[in-house]
Amino acid sequence: MASIEYLILFLVGAALLAYLLSKFNKTAASIFTIFATMFVFASLAGYGFGMNLVETVNVLPGFTFAQTYLGFYFVIIIVFVYLMVSFFHPYYIDTYKYKDSYNFLFLLSLAGIIGAFYTNNFLQLFFFFELIIWTTMFLIPLGKSREAAVTYFGFSVAGSMSMLLGIFMIFQQSGTFDISAGLAGISGTNAIFVFALFLIASFSKLGAFPLHIWLPIAHGNAPHPFSPVLSGALVKLGAFIGVLALVRIAPATGLFTTINLPIGQYIVAVLGAMSIVFGTLMAIKEDDAKKLLAYSSMSHGGYILVAFSLLDSIALAGGFYHILAHALASAGAFMAIAAVARATGTTKMKELGGMIHKMPITYLAYLVAIISMAGIPPMGGFISKWLIFQAVIDKGLIFIAVAVFFGSIGSFLYVFRPLAALFLGQELTEYKKVKEAPILMLIPTFIIMGLNVYTGVFPAGILKFINNIISELGFVPITITTFEITGYNGILNPAVISLVFGVGILVAFIIFILLKKSKKVTLMDTYTAANFVHDEHLLHYTTDFYAPLERLYEKQSNWMTKFYKALAQKVKDIGKLGKYLFMSRSIGTTVLWIIGIIILLLWGEVL
Amino acid sequence: MILNLLVGLGVALFGFVLQTGLAGFNRKIIGRLQKRHGPKWYQEYLDIFKLLSKKSISHGWIFDFGVIMALGGIIGTAMFMPLTSTFLAFENYDNFFIFVYLLAVGMLGMAMSASGSGNPWASIGVMRALTTMLAYEVPFMIVVLTIIKISGTSSVAGIQLFQQAAGNNWFIIALPLGGIVAVLALMGMLGKKPFETYIAPAEIASGPMVEYGGKQLGMLFILHEISVFIEVSLFVHLFLGGATNIFIFIVKYAAVYTFVNLISNVNGRFKIDQVVKFFYKWPLLMAVTQAVVAIYFGWVI
Repeated sequence: MASIEYLILFLVGAALLAYLLSKFNKTAASIFTIFATMFVFASLAGYGFGMNLVETVNVLPGFTFAQTYLGFYFVIIIVFVYLMVSFFHPYYIDTYKYKDSYNFLFLLSLAGIIGAFYTNNFLQLFFFFELIIWTTMFLIPLGKSREAAVTYFGFSVAGSMSMLLGIFMIFQQSGTFDISAGLAGISGTNAIFVFALFLIASFSKLGAFPLHIWLPIAHGNAPHPFSPVLSGALVKLGAFIGVLALVRIAPATGLFTTINLPIGQYIVAVLGAMSIVFGTLMAIKEDDAKKLLAYSSMSHGGYILVAFSLLDSIALAGGFYHILAHALASAGAFMAIAAVARATGTTKMKELGGMIHKMPITYLAYLVAIISMAGIPPMGGFISKWLIFQAVIDKGLIFIAVAVFFGSIGSFLYVFRPLAALFLGQELTEYKKVKEAPILMLIPTFIIMGLNVYTGVFPAGILKFINNIISELGFVPITITTFEITGYNGILNPAVISLVFGVGILVAFIIFILLKKSKKVTLMDTYTAANFVHDEHLLHYTTDFYAPLERLYEKQSNWMTKFYKALAQKVKDIGKLGKYLFMSRSIGTTVLWIIGIIILLLWGEVL
Repeated sequence: MILNLLVGLGVALFGFVLQTGLAGFNRKIIGRLQKRHGPKWYQEYLDIFKLLSKKSISHGWIFDFGVIMALGGIIGTAMFMPLTSTFLAFENYDNFFIFVYLLAVGMLGMAMSASGSGNPWASIGVMRALTTMLAYEVPFMIVVLTIIKISGTSSVAGIQLFQQAAGNNWFIIALPLGGIVAVLALMGMLGKKPFETYIAPAEIASGPMVEYGGKQLGMLFILHEISVFIEVSLFVHLFLGGATNIFIFIVKYAAVYTFVNLISNVNGRFKIDQVVKFFYKWPLLMAVTQAVVAIYFGWVI
């Protein structure tokens, strides 16, 4: 039997051990990290599904744990992403500035994750949240950008502070820090305040509009293997807080009768819709592959928010499924980009081209991931988007639907860009000697590829588990059989779709194979209107891929960045004023302040 | 299940034969419109079979794999298509979203293959095709949302039955604004002027297809015919009341396709950013207005 407490202690111990091991041999420490993560994943997978983990606490003072289906769903996805990514460590560890601390911080943040999702106490939740934020904050600058870490930390702390304030308000009214009792014990205006405060925390972790600025900066500059964790796992913390606020607090605000939705939830859905649209537009425009995927995470965060704010079984199922589908898709895509970055040293799309000829497996991994990300069958993303569409249409949310459809079609555009610019196109001369990723890195690639397909073909098993969460949250479980999912206006049978798609491919393949064999020609042997073009770069169309489209919103695209820059400047100015007033080097000023404060204190005494 | 698959393949084959023949007829009609005789009505078949038998070149495995994936995806999509309100291969599974998204697999395959050829013109063509898709798809889907909300089903056959039931109008009449949007979106889907920017003959060296010849081009022609079949059939089923038997289906289908072709031939061509601007101005506004009027106020003719 595995105990939650011992798992956390094990991870903390393993973290220290990894740190010590790194002092001697960095590769050994990285491999140790793989096994430690694997052990935790195996224990959770072995006992967690049936809620069979031991909750009793023997060593840690004052800590209490409880198992919920909701927490387990998040924890298993996140630990899985951690495990997959840990396979990448041995190949990247040498590129970091502080090599010893990487595995240490990685395992410590995992301990925080397990604590955060298994705790039943608000103060512990806050503690573990801070543990995650602080450890990951030090992981990000290992990719050599301090600004990224500061931005990430700023937004995360703003989020967790607002959560702390919310927790205090809950304590004030209900007198308990217990999560279930606390959430049930608040009502009235207090509930609305807590709702808003928790949502700020959720938005800042999820990177949803208007708190999304950190997302591309942190994702784009984080160490390559850490970006999949950020996007696939850590932003999902925001979804967890979002569920607490939107579904479990769900304060009684006025009701929109035409669409049968409380105003609070509708506002969140609108913000989610804005995240979808902004994320999509910015991703289309982005040139750095990792930043592009970061913006796509923002857009998918929007889908999750929309789903949770609809207060509806099908939408909840869609939201939870989307969390899994997006975690797998974005981990797969980020890992493929990481493999390319390791081989070439860049993630800028205009500097890359034709990687498919050297890294075909990485290419396939990316292809499968983006098919899921774009919500195309037979991958997992299709199932979740279908469920979300069902709920959006059933509620008749027209304006939300515009954004949801826009994001869905727009995702074809942005996911195709790295495919075309980075993997396809001309084979650039500078990367002629690049090799496919090593076997240890291909293992997680294959696993994630397989799971992306599995989630799209046989979703019933996972949806049955999600039904447990839905009942736990007090909603009616959705109808599923072995192959069919029943929505509001139709039945989906993913297995049949995949089968038919397979038959189609088979027919096309037979037609292809029966016809005459084609002659192989080089990539440079193309139609150039009879001009002699001698340089691959001239035939590689990558820079500003969607230029005509980008031009339409070029001017509007950076006003959010400008707003946050201005805000940061204001904060700096206030800081300077404080420094000028209180930290002056001139003795006169200091004496003045001392006298002033003494007078103030004495005055208080007199009163 | 084997029987269903065979029926599905039959539907796809039927669609290919029907659309290819009709495309030939349309070339003749357009010829007459321009005071020419036009080619023989079976010219399209000749073109395709000629291409399939010719020698061809390949730019590497993705070039071929993309074509197979594209044609496979489109055949798969066509297999779900109902021909009449009762004749379809996979009952209950003819969900509208399957058509939209499975069609996208085909498009993705084609885009991948074209980009894999290493020709910048092909990439520009793909970029334009995807941008056009972003333009027409959103207004169209809003109109379909209205239809699904009103009829309570997203099954294409179910929507046909709803329109055929006594007291209900065809959706092109019931939702007039939505009907206009759907016609415009259909023209975008089919790549008809003024929205044919991604092929743009004589401008970007025939767009995504620039590098193809022989069997690959032949397969892409088949793909094109089947995808036209899917798009026009969707319009017939969703907006023109579908069909109770196969002859009505063929008549409606031919009427829609010819109508769109005629409009196309008296138009100029938009630039790609004009396509986006156009669709996000009037059609989107009309689609949203129609949805608000129909869903929130319940005003359906």
